[in-house]
Formats: sequence, structure tokens, C-alpha cells
Amino acid sequence: MRDKEEGKRVPEIGGWPDRLAPIAVIIAAVLTTAGFLDAFFLVPPVPGASVSEPASIGGVLIQNKLLISQKIFFFHMPVAMVSFCALAFAGYYSIRFLMSRNERFDACAKVAMEIALVFVLMTMATGEMWTRFEWGVWWTWDPRLTTYLILMLIVIAYMVLRSMVDDAERRGVFSAVLAIIAVVDVPICLMITRLIPSSVHPVVVREGGMSPEMGICVGMIMVGMLALGFALYRARFRQVLLSQRAEAIKEKMDEGSSLGSEVMK
Amino acid sequence: MSVPNKPSGMRQFAALLSKDLRRELRTKEMLISMFVYAVLVIVVFGVALSFARPSDDLIQVSGGLLWAMILFTSLLGLNRSMSQEMEGRCIEGLLLAPMDRGVIFLAKVTSNLMFLAVVELIAVPLFWVFFSSFAHPADTAWLIAVPLIAGSIGIAGIGTMLSSMTVNTRGKDVMLALLFIPVIYPLLHCCVSATTSALLGGVAMDAFTMSVALAVGFDIIMILISWLLYQFILDA
Repeated sequence: MRDKEEGKRVPEIGGWPDRLAPIAVIIAAVLTTAGFLDAFFLVPPVPGASVSEPASIGGVLIQNKLLISQKIFFFHMPVAMVSFCALAFAGYYSIRFLMSRNERFDACAKVAMEIALVFVLMTMATGEMWTRFEWGVWWTWDPRLTTYLILMLIVIAYMVLRSMVDDAERRGVFSAVLAIIAVVDVPICLMITRLIPSSVHPVVVREGGMSPEMGICVGMIMVGMLALGFALYRARFRQVLLSQRAEAIKEKMDEGSSLGSEVMK
Repeated sequence: MSVPNKPSGMRQFAALLSKDLRRELRTKEMLISMFVYAVLVIVVFGVALSFARPSDDLIQVSGGLLWAMILFTSLLGLNRSMSQEMEGRCIEGLLLAPMDRGVIFLAKVTSNLMFLAVVELIAVPLFWVFFSSFAHPADTAWLIAVPLIAGSIGIAGIGTMLSSMTVNTRGKDVMLALLFIPVIYPLLHCCVSATTSALLGGVAMDAFTMSVALAVGFDIIMILISWLLYQFILDA
């Protein structure tokens, strides 16, 4: 069931991705749960962040300590990765929309952006826990944090912008333009805040990479979260498309009935 | 299908720019409202700092405050400049004229930049007059002209593109602020850094060149993208 339009394929519902979606849900459920158990029970705790100067966290002086809060990392990183994936898709579909002016791509970009928002919020929530318990502050203007805040604000602005424009085509163009700007702006933001460090906050250094055990755990959760993102995307895409169709049918029926009453007169 | 007397891109640009300038010289509504707003922001900062003891530490904050003033003032001006085009459907006339959308964009950016520059020429010295009793800037303070120029170009470029979008939405002014502030953030970061270094002088000047270079890089990339995307916005 694929529409052919101008010889190009457009994303449709009911194809193989939708048959894959239920499997993806199961994979997501199994892998994220397994990853959760793995992170808390199997992977040994890692020395917490060593801070450039001893910091007081919850009344305890911390310099380098085994921190349970390090477990946040196992969820934080995969969720952030999925949010970037969703954003990349939103950018891609936005470009396709500007080139083809096919409403379907606008719907794709919109749904991808919604998924991005969900994962951005999850990243922010886990990130906030991280800064509080690892670095001892609720917020610091660290390059990654700043960039992520800016990213979140742009994604929210995207949603608000969509709701503020009534004309469908105009809405599509404006939001596509914003999505493309976001995709360009956010890496620049990260680069700039990295190159011009803002200040005097403690520098957080984490030595060494991940141990193989950590790698496996992160990998599991990453695949699980990707599957979750995919399943959510398909479900929402299906819903958006079906409601568009229902809308179209309703309009047709209205036309039909008004025609009918004309004839009756 | 060549039109014999079609004016060149440069002439079109000059015509559009002189239209904006003439209109502003007659009404003066943008310049006056931006200038008054800048003064009001200074007054608000005056209240905010009124209980701070004058000390040289305040110089570290003043660069950021200066940019906050410029940012808010420019938001006001950008909103006005595009909604003027919508009033009396001026924009439709522009779109009907056979010219490149890029020329419209560049003319609008230039006129916005000029208005912003005029306001800055008055407001920045005024800012200094009001806050010079708090702290003394270093000898290198005149170098803040460099980030001011780079920042204003970026603000005018991106702001023009975004405000052309937001004038067509329901919550015009709010929508512009919502889009403009996050997108401009990297530029603001560079400009505040460069301005603060120039005001502090000495060792702090190390970051100056890097900040200015990044601000210029941001300007170039974002204005190019805005210029590319502008035709889609106007055609919608």
C-alpha cells in the first residue's frame, strides 16, 4: 500500500514498518527492562566524577566517590542519542517537504519532532538528576547543558509555531524552515560554548572510557530506546495519517450532502 | 523573454533600501520606539543595580547587560519592520515585482541593520553615561565596537528572516521572541564574551579574537542559510 506520487515514494502507513512496530515494542520492553536490571545489579559501580575541587553534596564532602547516581548515565546517554536521531529525521523530512511541498513529509517531520521532544524531555529530566547528584548543583552552564537547553527551547518553539499558523501549507513551510535552522544552529551552539568556556564552574573530568560491561549495558538500552522511538513514531504517524483521512472523508461527505440538499431544492 | 529595461540587482536593492529609509525618516516610529525602549531598559538595569556597591567587579556583568539591552531593543525593531510591510499589504506589491527574493532579503536586512546601528550609536554611550559611576572599563574598551558590529549584523540577518515568518502567525511579538532568542544564543554568547574581554582588558583580552572570529563565522553561516530559506518563507 504505497502511494506513488510524481514517481517518488512517500511514507505510507500499513507497510513493513508498521508490521515491524509491534515487534519493536516487545524488543524495547525487553531490552530496556533488562538494561535497567543490568545497570543496577550487575554492572559494578564506577567512581563518581572527580571534581577539580572537593564539593559538598547533601552535606557530604565529595571528591571521588562511588556514586549510585552514576547509573543515570545508562539511561541518559541512550535517550539523548535517540533524541538526536529523531531530530535528524525531522530535519531530513523538512528538507524533503520544502523540495516537494508534499503534505506527507510535513506530517513526518512533525511526528519526528514530537518524538524528539519526548526524548529531549527525558534527557533533560535524567540530566537534571545527574547535575544535582554528580556535580552538586541543579544547573550549570556547561556547554552540553546549555546546548541541550537551547535545543529544547527550539523544539518547544517549533510546537508553538505550528499551533500559531492556521494555513496548512504556510505552517509546513515555516516549521520546516525552523527545523532546518535548528539542525544547523545546535551543533554551532555546542562548538561555540565549548570553544569559549563561560566561566568559573568546577571542571568535571571523567577519566577512562567505558568498561565492556558498561558498554554492553548502554548498548542494550540504546537499542531498546531506539526501538521505542521507532514504535512511538509509527504509532503517532499512523494516528496522524488516519485522522487526516477521516477529515478528508468528512469533507467529502459534507460536500455530498450539501449537493444532495441542493438537488432536493 | 528578456525585459529590456529591467533594473539590475543593485538598483533594485537601492530602491528597496531607500524606500525603507524614506519611510522611517517620515514616520520615525521605529527609531523613536527603539530608542525609548533602550532608555527604559537602562532604567530597569539602574533599579536592578541600585543596591550593588560600585566596584570593578561590576564591569564583568556590564558587557552582558549591554547585550541584553541590545537584544530586547532589536526585538522591538524587528517586529515593527516586518509588520510595517504587512500594513497596507505592501508586501504583496513587493512580491509581485519581478525581482529576486534574495534582493528583498538583503535590502530588509540592511535597513534593519542601519536602524539598529543608529539606535546603538546613541544607546551604547548612554549606557556608559548611566553606569560609568559603577566601574571603570579598561583602555581596550573601544574594541567593543567590533563585537557590536558583528552581533548587529547577525541580529539583523537572522531576525529579519524570523520576523518575516512570525508576522504571519497569530502571536506575532511573542512568537518572534520565542524563535529568536534560542536561535541567536550562540552569537550572543560570543558577543558577550568579546565585549566583556574588551571591557576588562589585560589577560581577559585573550578570548577576544576567538570570540569575534566565532561570531563572524556564525554570522556568515546563518545569514547564508537565512538567505537560502527566505524565498520559501516569502512564497508561502
